[in-house]
Amino acid sequence: MDGVTRFDELERSWAITMKDMRIYFLRPGTLASGILFPVALFFSFAVGRNIPNNMLIPVLAAQTILWSSSSIGPAAFPLERRTRTFERYLSAPISLFAVLWGKTMAGVIFGLGITVAAMAVGAAAIGIQVTNIAAVAIGVLLSAMVFSAMGTLFASIPSNNPGEVIMPLNLVRIPLMFVSGMFIPIESLPSVGTYAALVSPLTHTLDLLKVGFGGTSHFGWPINIAVLVIWLIVFLVMSSTLHEYFDRRRI
Amino acid sequence: MTEVQAIDVQGITKYYDKFLAVDHITFSVEQGEIFGFLGPNGAGKTTTIKMLTGVSTPSDGRASVLGYDIVKQSVMAKSLMGIVPDISNTYDEISVWNNLIFTAKLYGVPGARRNERAKELLTRFDLYDRRDEKVGGFSSGMKRKVCIAMALMNESKLLFLDEPTIGLDVESHIIIHELIRSLNEDGLTIFLTTHNIEEASQMCNRVAIINRGKIVAIDTPESLKRAMKGVQSIEVAFKGETPGLQASLEKLPSVKGVQKRGDKIRILTDDPPRVLKELWRLIEDNNLEPITMNTLGPSLEDVFLKLTGRVMEAEIIHRREAG
Repeated sequence: MDGVTRFDELERSWAITMKDMRIYFLRPGTLASGILFPVALFFSFAVGRNIPNNMLIPVLAAQTILWSSSSIGPAAFPLERRTRTFERYLSAPISLFAVLWGKTMAGVIFGLGITVAAMAVGAAAIGIQVTNIAAVAIGVLLSAMVFSAMGTLFASIPSNNPGEVIMPLNLVRIPLMFVSGMFIPIESLPSVGTYAALVSPLTHTLDLLKVGFGGTSHFGWPINIAVLVIWLIVFLVMSSTLHEYFDRRRI
Repeated sequence: MTEVQAIDVQGITKYYDKFLAVDHITFSVEQGEIFGFLGPNGAGKTTTIKMLTGVSTPSDGRASVLGYDIVKQSVMAKSLMGIVPDISNTYDEISVWNNLIFTAKLYGVPGARRNERAKELLTRFDLYDRRDEKVGGFSSGMKRKVCIAMALMNESKLLFLDEPTIGLDVESHIIIHELIRSLNEDGLTIFLTTHNIEEASQMCNRVAIINRGKIVAIDTPESLKRAMKGVQSIEVAFKGETPGLQASLEKLPSVKGVQKRGDKIRILTDDPPRVLKELWRLIEDNNLEPITMNTLGPSLEDVFLKLTGRVMEAEIIHRREAG
C-alpha cells in the first residue's frame, strides 16, 4: 500500500479491535450468545450423564470458544452498516483486510477471555489440572481465531440486522457440535460422519483440548493444527472477498 | 508551476447492476473553493461522494483527489480528506473524546498530536467541556459538529460534506454554515452536496447541478442566474382585488407567463423594461393602484428547475438505453 506500512496497518486495525471491545463486549446480545448459550448447552450435555472429568472441561471449553469467538462479528458488522459507521473504515487510509483483521481480533479476545474464565472455573470446581499447557494454549488461541474469522465471514451477508447474520451462522454452529465428537464419540459416527468430523474445525479444537487435559487426540495433534490453520486461511480469504464485493462494490 | 486541483473527475460512472446512478460526469474543484453539488434526491450526489471518498468503487472513469488517484493511490488520497456523510455516523456508545481519538488512530495521527488536535477542535466547536459524555445523548446539531470534528482530526486538506444541514433546526443550521465558512477561510477546500438551493447559493463559490446522474451545468451561482435571461420577472402587488387582472396581464405582448404568489403577481418575461411600459399603460387604463413593484433576476431555483426540466426526457431515454 502506498505510504502506509504493514506495521501502520496493524496499528490501525488494533485501534478497531480496541474500539469494538469498548462497544460490543458488554452488549446483551453478545453476552447471551457468548456466555449463556455455551453454558446452557454444556449443562444440558453434562447433567445426568456419566462423563469422565477430563472430557468435561474440553467439551465446555470447545463450546465456549465456538460460541463466544464467533459472536462479535455478526453483531458488529450489521450494526455498523445500520449506523453507517462501517463507511468510516472504507473511507479511511486502511485496507479492507486490515479492517476485517481488527474486527476478527475483537472476537478472538472476547472468546479467549470467556473461554479461559470458563475453563478456570470448571477445572477448579471439578478438581482437574492442565497436563499439556502447549496443547491448551495452541488449541484455544487457534480455535478462537478460526471461529472469530467464521463470524466475520458470515457477517459479510449484506444486512444491517444482526438476526439475519446470526440465524444462518447458527445453521452451521449447531450441526458442528454434533459431528465433532462432542455429544457423540467420533468412533460411534457412521463413515460419512467420520469424514465430517475430520473436516469440522470444532473436532480439532476438542482434540487439542483433550490432549491438554490428559486425554488423547483422535486425529493426532499435527492434523488438528493443520486443519485449524487451513480453516483460518479459508475463512479470512473468503471474508475478504465477500466483504469487498458486498461492502464496497455494491455500495 | 500550477497548483494541483483539489478534485479532478473524468467521466466517472456508477452502475448498480443495470441501473445507471452516475453517468460519465466530468468536473474539477480548485483548492480553497467551496464547491456545491446540487441536485434533487436520487440525482446521484451521494453516490458521487461515495466514489470520490473511496467508500464505493467506480464502474468506469477516473478521479483524483489532490493529485492522487482515488483507486490506484487510494490510501494517500484518503489520508488527505475528511468525510461528513449525510447522517452523523458517530459511535454513540463512546465519548466525544474517544470518537475523535479513534478517528485519529484510524488515520495514523501520531500519539502526541492526537490529543492536541482533539483538544483544539473540541475547543473550537464548543464541545471541550462535554468531551467525556457519550455522543448518543447529543442533539442532531451537536452530533453534526462531532462528525465534522472527526473529519478534521487528520488535518485534512479537503472536506466532503454530504447534506451538512439536513434535519437540523434553524439555529444548528446557522452554526454549521458559520463553521463551514470559517474552515474555508482557514484554507480548507470544501465539497458540499445539497438539495437546498439557498444553501448552495449562499455558501458556494461554484455549483454543479446534477440531475439523473448527469451534470447539467457548472458555474458560479450568479453566472448561472445571469445565463437564465428567459426567467427574469416583475413582481407586483395591487390594492384590492381586480377581476380578470391575471388574464389581462397574460395578454400583454412581452409577458411569457403569470404566476399568483400570495398577494403578489409574478410576471415572467425576457424583457422587463418593455413589460414595465406595457404594465404602466394597463394600470392607467384600468385605474389600478399598485402597492409594490419589483424587477427580479432569476433565482438559483429557477435555474435548477429550468435545467433539470429541460434535460429530463433525454436523460430517461439515455438511461433506458444504458440499462
